[in-house]
Amino acid sequence: MTIILNSKVFKLPRLEREKFINLMHLGLDYNRNTMMFSINSYNNIEKVIDELSIILGDDIVFHQSCVRCGKAFPCKGCNYIDVCTTKNLPFSCVCSQCLRDRKQFEEYLTKL
Amino acid sequence: MQKQTELLWVEKYRPKKIEEVTGNDEAKVLFIEWLKNKRHTKKAVLLYGPAGVGKTTLVMAAAKEFNFTVIEMNASDTRSEKAINAVAKPATAYKSLDSFSDGTNKSIGNILFLDEVDGIAGNEDRGGVNAILKIVEKSLVPVIMAANDPDIGKLRPLKKVSLLVRFQQVRIPLIIALLQKICLLEHVKAEFEALERIAQNSRGDVRSAINDLQSLSGENHSLTLQDTMMLHSRNKDISIDETLRRYFSTQSIADTSSMLAFSSVDYDDFLLSVADNLPKRYTDTAELARAYEYASQADMFRGRIGTENWHLLKYFFNALAKASAVNPQSYKPFTFITPPIRIITLFWTKNKRNILNNICAKIGEQCHVSVETAKLTFIPYVRLMLQRRRNHPIVSSFKLTPEEVNYIVTMGRY
Repeated sequence: MTIILNSKVFKLPRLEREKFINLMHLGLDYNRNTMMFSINSYNNIEKVIDELSIILGDDIVFHQSCVRCGKAFPCKGCNYIDVCTTKNLPFSCVCSQCLRDRKQFEEYLTKL
Repeated sequence: MQKQTELLWVEKYRPKKIEEVTGNDEAKVLFIEWLKNKRHTKKAVLLYGPAGVGKTTLVMAAAKEFNFTVIEMNASDTRSEKAINAVAKPATAYKSLDSFSDGTNKSIGNILFLDEVDGIAGNEDRGGVNAILKIVEKSLVPVIMAANDPDIGKLRPLKKVSLLVRFQQVRIPLIIALLQKICLLEHVKAEFEALERIAQNSRGDVRSAINDLQSLSGENHSLTLQDTMMLHSRNKDISIDETLRRYFSTQSIADTSSMLAFSSVDYDDFLLSVADNLPKRYTDTAELARAYEYASQADMFRGRIGTENWHLLKYFFNALAKASAVNPQSYKPFTFITPPIRIITLFWTKNKRNILNNICAKIGEQCHVSVETAKLTFIPYVRLMLQRRRNHPIVSSFKLTPEEVNYIVTMGRY
């Protein structure tokens, strides 16, 4: 099974002190009030994913956000997944519908 | 002045605003926050990532948007201590008086931009890194650096004083979207599949994708998939960590082979890293044994390749790929051991090896033998003699220091 995380904020189970500190060093942020984690620095994003996978005991994927329509969508099913070096990482992208829809694209361009 | 129509599209469509820079939104936010002084915990910023992903473009667009004057030094300039001090010192030693006014179009001051700092090398650029370090410490204006490879040793001091902002390869859909936009503005009728192929071929390099689009679309303003057939694949640098990650998570031998062919990691280091990490990858001993068998075959091929038989490289890749695909279904993420244990060990034992070499050089001088011979045939006996009697006459004969005597007596091997 694969765990899908929200790229903005996400919750983790209670962590051991060392693991928590390690995640903070790797670039995560923790909001005490909401008890939610978020990504502060993307410099070590692959290591963050590895650590999260170990903590949650499963593969981790993040939802992508489309820069055109704003929808969240998974990398699964993307035609370019084999050549993408940032697959499943929480970065912006363009969803397949927006990429193929010329009319929508022209509307998007006029908005800019 | 060049007409707009004669311009390279890379220049013509170079983003003028920050929001126009394609991809790497997270890096953009971090950089802009730093530039606006919100995250000024470090005095300089180091933007790093592959070529053509928008590092320089972002700096130029941000400078334009915030009305900074860019003082730039790039790889085409000599960047010795003297040259850097001549250009960068005056630019960073004072704040512009304009910065106190909020005039609409006036420059609010300088930013120093040192592009391709990883290219500072050789005699011509002697003292360059130290000069930059001093400038960063004393600078009154933002200092921005850009590099493709931040992991090279000489950049370590610069990394300590800089906020690091990583740029990733731009995603294929984002490049396609940008190419679509350019096609629309240039009235090029392009097949979607052709744009797709250009974007995929660029491997995340926006600059090369735009150049390919311009060269292929030609004067007839049309582009078909057939036109893109002449494009050949670009080899991009993939770090050893990333290569290991992809190597171990692979699903097939063919995928791993082609991934290795695209990577430019040092094959010897990579092989050592694979050997170190195999026990973490395979918990089943039978699978681990098979994987090591393939890794040893790869090692054999690497030996045969040497420095000239590169036609054997495919067999090396194939054997190595087999080691990764013994049981693809059993893959679970784990933390990699890098750099290779052997290299770490060599690093940690450097001092000890130096002491032993000094001792052997002294023995060699007295006994007229090479250092190697002294190490192999003399040291075991000298050790035995000194273990029995620390002040043995050979100590003065070989002119050994007390530290060297202590080292020989307590050394583990032989």
